[in-house]
This record gives sequence, C-alpha cells and structure tokens, in this order.
Amino acid sequence: MLRFVVVRLSQSLVALAILSVVVFILARATGDPLSMVLPMSATEEDYANARAYLGLDRSYLEQYVSFVGRAAIGDFGTSIRARRPVSELIRERLPNSFKLAAFAMGVSVAMAFPLGILAAVKKGTAIDRGAQIVSILGQSLPTFWLAIVLVEFVAGRLQWLPAVGDGTLASYVLPGFTLGWFVVAGMMRLLRSSMLEVLDSEYVKLARVKGVIEPRVVWLHALKNALIPVVTFAGIYFSILVTTAIVVETVFAWPGLGRLAYEGITGRDFPVIQAVVLVTAAIVAVVNLGVDCLYAVIDPRIRVAR
Amino acid sequence: MKRAIQVFALLLLVLGVAVTPSVAQGKTDLVIGFAGLAQETLDPPVAGHFNKYYLALLYDYLVGTTNDGTLSPKGGIATKWENSADYKRWTFTLRRDARFHNGDPVTAEDVKFSIERNIGKRSTTGYAGPLRTLIATIETPAPDRVVIVTKEPTLIIPTYLSRALSSEGMVTPKKYIESVGDEAFARKPVGSGPYKFVEHVSGSHIKLEAFANHWRTGTPKYKTITFRIVPEETTRIALLRRGEVDVTDISRERVKELEREGYPMHFRKEDAVVSMWTVLDPNGGWPAPMKDKRVREAMNLAIDRTEVAQAIFGGHALPAAIPLGLSWSFKEIGLRVTPEMAYPHDVARAKKLLADAGHPNGFPLDVYAFLLPGFPEGKAFAEAIAGYWEKVGIKPKLIPVDYAAFRKNWVDRKAPGATGYFNIANRNWVGAYALLEKMAYTPSKPNDTAADPEIDGMIKQVMSQTDQAKINALMRNIFTRLRSEHLGYPIVYLHSPYASSKALASWNPGTVMYDFFFDELAATK
Repeated sequence: MLRFVVVRLSQSLVALAILSVVVFILARATGDPLSMVLPMSATEEDYANARAYLGLDRSYLEQYVSFVGRAAIGDFGTSIRARRPVSELIRERLPNSFKLAAFAMGVSVAMAFPLGILAAVKKGTAIDRGAQIVSILGQSLPTFWLAIVLVEFVAGRLQWLPAVGDGTLASYVLPGFTLGWFVVAGMMRLLRSSMLEVLDSEYVKLARVKGVIEPRVVWLHALKNALIPVVTFAGIYFSILVTTAIVVETVFAWPGLGRLAYEGITGRDFPVIQAVVLVTAAIVAVVNLGVDCLYAVIDPRIRVAR
Repeated sequence: MKRAIQVFALLLLVLGVAVTPSVAQGKTDLVIGFAGLAQETLDPPVAGHFNKYYLALLYDYLVGTTNDGTLSPKGGIATKWENSADYKRWTFTLRRDARFHNGDPVTAEDVKFSIERNIGKRSTTGYAGPLRTLIATIETPAPDRVVIVTKEPTLIIPTYLSRALSSEGMVTPKKYIESVGDEAFARKPVGSGPYKFVEHVSGSHIKLEAFANHWRTGTPKYKTITFRIVPEETTRIALLRRGEVDVTDISRERVKELEREGYPMHFRKEDAVVSMWTVLDPNGGWPAPMKDKRVREAMNLAIDRTEVAQAIFGGHALPAAIPLGLSWSFKEIGLRVTPEMAYPHDVARAKKLLADAGHPNGFPLDVYAFLLPGFPEGKAFAEAIAGYWEKVGIKPKLIPVDYAAFRKNWVDRKAPGATGYFNIANRNWVGAYALLEKMAYTPSKPNDTAADPEIDGMIKQVMSQTDQAKINALMRNIFTRLRSEHLGYPIVYLHSPYASSKALASWNPGTVMYDFFFDELAATK
C-alpha cells in the first residue's frame, strides 16, 4: 500500500511539473495583463514602470525559474491585479470552495442515493420513471439557468432563502443545490445501474435464499459492492465542484476558487492563473489518491490484489 | 410524500427566517452592491481611478471638491492654496483638526510623503506620470504648510492633487507606513477619512466603520458601509428587493423594470463618452484613406447617433459631437456645443464625400469589437456602427478581440486604419486636458489618435500657460478643431444607472470621475 501511494505521488509530481510549463506558456499567450490594470490613458513609461515593478520585464526563462522555485515552497508570487500574495488569495478562497463543494456533495448524495437505490429496487415502476425524469433534468438544465431562476424567484421574489453567501447555513442552500443538482443525475444513474448489476449477482441471490430480509440484502450486501463506481464518480466530481464552480460562484457572489480563476483569466493575472491551475491539479491528484485508498477500504479484494 | 413536502417547507422556513434581511441588517448599515470593486486594492498608489469611490471614504484628499468637481477648501486637508508669482511654487495651508484613524495628527510631512509615494514608480494611478514630470521638490516649512515646487509654471497642481481626478492627492500616514511597510499597510490601511478600515474579504466585500466626529462629515450616520461584490445583475437586483443592498449598479436595459417597481433610479449623466478612433500609421500619421478629411467626415455622417442611443443604450445616452469631447469640462472652459456641431445622419452626403475622395465603392475597414467594464453593449455597438458604415459603401470587417489585444495593435500601430473605441470616463478640464495630451498629442506617440500639428501646438501651449482665460480659449479651440477636422468618431454620451432602496431617493452621485460621494450620503454636518 505504501509503495502504491509513493508511486502515485511521484506520478502526480511529474504531472504537476509538466503542467507548470504548460500553464506558464498559455497564461502569457493571452496578452499583456497591464492593459487590464493601468488606466486607458497610461503612457508607455507607466507601462514600463509597472512591468519592471512586477518583474514582467525579465526573460520568460527567468520568470519561469523564479515561478517554479517559489511555487515549490508555496509562494506563488504577487497578484498583478490585487497586488497581494497569491498564496494569501488562495488561502482565503479555497476554504469557501471546499465548504460549498462539501455541501453540494451532501445534497447530491442525499438525493441520489435514495433515488438510485429505489429506482433499482423498483425497476420499471413509477418511482423508476420519476428518477429518470430527475436524471434527465439534472443533466439537461444548464447550471447558469437554474442558478438565475433560483436567485430571481426563490431569493428575490419569494424571499425564502438568501441570494448570496453570507456565512449562514441558509446561504448554502441555493448555491449548494444548484451545484449538487448537476451531480445528482449522474450519481443516481450510476448507482441504479450498479445496484441492478449487483442485485442480479449470485451472492445476493444466495443471501435471499438463505432468508436474509430484503432491506438487509439491499442496504448491506448489495449497496456496499455497488458503491465502488459511485465513489470514483463522487471523488472526481468533488474535485470538479471545488475547482470549477465558476458559474455558481459568480451568480451567488460566492468568493471561491472558481471565481478567483475567472478573475485571474479576465484580468490576465498570470500569477493567479498559474497558482489556481497548480492548486487545482494538486487537489485532483490528492482526491484521486484518496479515492484509490478508499477502494481498498470498501473492497478488501482490491487491497489484496495490490 | 406529503410529510416530506411538509418537512422541506419547514426547513426552508427555518433557514429563511434565520437570515431575514431586516433582522440581519440594521438601518445604520449602508450596503453598496456592485458588480466588482476593480482591483480591490486599498493603497492609493496601486489603486488609481477605479477604486476612488471607496478610497475617498477611507482617506482625505489634499484638495477636496464639491460633488460637481469644483475645488473646495471645505472638502480636503488643505484649507487654502496659493501660487507664487511665477506659478512654480504652490503653498498649501493644512487644517489642524485632521487625524488619522490611529490617532496621529495629519501633518505636512504626511502630505509630502503621500504625494511622493503616490506618484512613485510603483504607482499605477492615472496622473502619476505627468506629476512626476512636473514636480521638482516638495517642501514642508511648517507642520501645516506644504510647498510644491514645479519645474515649469503651472496652474494645475491643485486640481491634479484633488478629488476631481485620481488618487495621487490622497493623504496617508508616513509614520505608520514606514513602520509596517507597504504590504502590511495595503492589508490594514489607515487613513484620515470619515470611515476607517474594518475588513477586506477578497472577492466578497470591503467593510468600513464610521470615524466619530470627522471634520468633513461629522459622525457619519451609517455606522458601517460595506462594499459588496455581486457580479451577477439578477443577484444584485434580488438583493435590492430583499433589502440587503441599498445601492446597486444596473444595466441600462433593466432600468424600466425597476422603475416600475418603484425603486429610485440615479443616473450619472454623461458618465462616459463613447468615442471611436482610427489607429494611426507607424509614423504617427493618418493612414489612407482616413488621411482625407472627407473620408473621416463621411464616416461620421454615416452614423445615426440618435438611433444608436435608443436601440443600443435603451435611450440612456445622448449623441456626441466632438471627438474625445469630455463634456463635464465644457462648462469650465466655456465651450457651447451648438446644434450645427452635431453630426446629422446623412447617408447621401456620406456617399458623395466618399466618391469625391475617390472611394465611390468604399474601402475595406477593420472594426475591432470588444467588451469593456461598464460597457456590456460593446460588441452590439461595434456591430451597429459597422452596419452604418456598410450602408454608405464601406466594407467593414468585425474583428472580435478583447481590449488588451486591441490596445496592443493600437499603441504598437500594428493595424493602421482599423477602428477601436472606449467608453472614456467623463472628467473636468484638467482631466480632459490630460486625456488630450495622451490621445491627441503627437509627441506622446503610442496613444495618439488625432495626428494634427495645430492641435499639438495648442496642447503644448496649455502645458505652460498660467492664465486660466487663455487656457480655456485654447481648450475650446482644441475641441473645435477636433470637431471641424473630424479627428475621430464621437458617438454617444452614456448615462450610467444606479438603483437604490426607496429610503435613498435623494442620493446624488455627483459628476466627478469614478466617485459617488457616499460620504455626503452619510454626512451629519
């Protein structure tokens, strides 16, 4: 197990190193960040001064070496736009994204698990068809549309729930639901098909023959084995929710990592873009590693095979 | 199922009640919800124009203004300013009752330190460059006296350092900054304005707290002012309806909807002029075919400005007549825009002018299309203008880019003959002059848009002129010539709408560049 973790970590470090080169080049290919920071009437002298102050007048190689050297110790440089250390901005925004993603994942699990399991157990019934409708809606309703509709009606007109994040539990409901809704469909369909497969397996039939009561068959024997693909799915989607919830964070004024990335891109803030991409990649790598380890916990056969 | 619905409804109720706006927010708190807070920086030299409306609460200016931009000894640290006979020494007398939020008095040393810091090389403010060029030294003969010595005679030092323009005139505490350093200061700024810093949560909000017995406002009536970032307009409007924001910026297209609901609308009239220009050739001259004055006139006559104002900007705009014509300066310099100066929409004459200039079948024209802050209509606007030009025979090609890409082509002169635009913030005569010096003065090279030796000569004279009447005449002549020679394509003046809660019906956002005078809203004296 330890060897497995070390190998996976090494692979992740190589991927991060390659990514750092790619993101460094791509961020600079988009144009001059100073045109977004300096006033429209700024002179070339103003540009030269700002360029020198921010170290953008150095060669690309010098800039890259400096970027990698500092990133290795968690220093991602200074934001061109905000003139603050990028690591500070990440520290402020990342927990917000984690909290929202965790809430959204909670919403997804709370909706997808009962629906997915019931749809499998009651295959072909009205419940199954209802679950399919939820699934279709989840995959087809654009996130931005759902977010705007919820803000306009639930928050603005009916005034049932807050429109923006304000630290209260209530303020998590609309963004969390919007973000989680997208995951519900996929998770539910996956769980349903996985459950159907497991419920049809020999060991489940044996359990039933032995007289194990149906709820125990479903929730204990079948669900545990049906969980493996769902855990993979949830792991991948959790890292996606943390890092790319740009639309939801924008509509609900949620100061998370997605919006930081968006602000970095629109402001051509190289240090922010580079840091967000690297942090995102690191999160994905860590979550994937965590998911792999979780397999072993759920299914001892995997642990033995390794 | 019924039980599940009941539980869900109860949950919503419980969660909703927990944050009922009227409970969460007292009436002593003012919340401003804007789409963005620019760079969210709190340090004057790295803030510049765009952050002025919240920095003006945190800091005092050396020279204050009224909300129409008139310099006022009642609004700034300086209660009096005088020039020497040769206009090269400006003496500012400072008020003695101004204190920083940490209790230190505001002294001449702080003012000197602030100006030098605000125009230093790390500054990204709008007028740091010209001030660096102009100022020779700053003297502090007494704790309440500052003397600014300039290299050339000038009239414009007080205005440059006033609230009318950018942030170069904001006063910061020397001792505190020297003890904590620039970075720590930016994180926890200390000013002497009517509000002190409480917290800044990046991407979320900036919160300020009233500073008791402030000389400018008295004890402000709002205990706190929070500037909240709400990027999505639907969300800002929802917050206004919920009573969670008191003032918000809205798009021109949603004005009627909110007016119908009874929300007071506040317009900053002629907040910006949307001006188009031709990218000059690499030598700084007019490229063909715009070199011919008739072509430039034809391009102006082809545009139906009234229709643009109505169709693109929902009627919240006015036709503009003068290239780079910053209209808030017109009153100061005594320029009256006559009906004859307005460009009529005259397709027949435009076609004739093009034919006379040797282009009966038009010519290819690159039209860059991009969005700008405060100008979401940018691309639709560019398409409309291209459409007008097409109708007179020109063959426009729309090139969708972002502003940075256009700017590079503009200042590097890589696309001679192409057109671009900007919603240039309106400003007073000094601001207008500074803009002309950047965009209509050939020696400033990269930004020039109006190659014209006569205008160059007049701009140069303004720089060294110390007689205000003569300056005004020069400024009038510059604008008149920009119009008569068609040295650009002025399109419309934009009115920027802001909606407020019904309690703030009397708010006047003023007519000062990038300022909203929220301190006047909070003033108790």
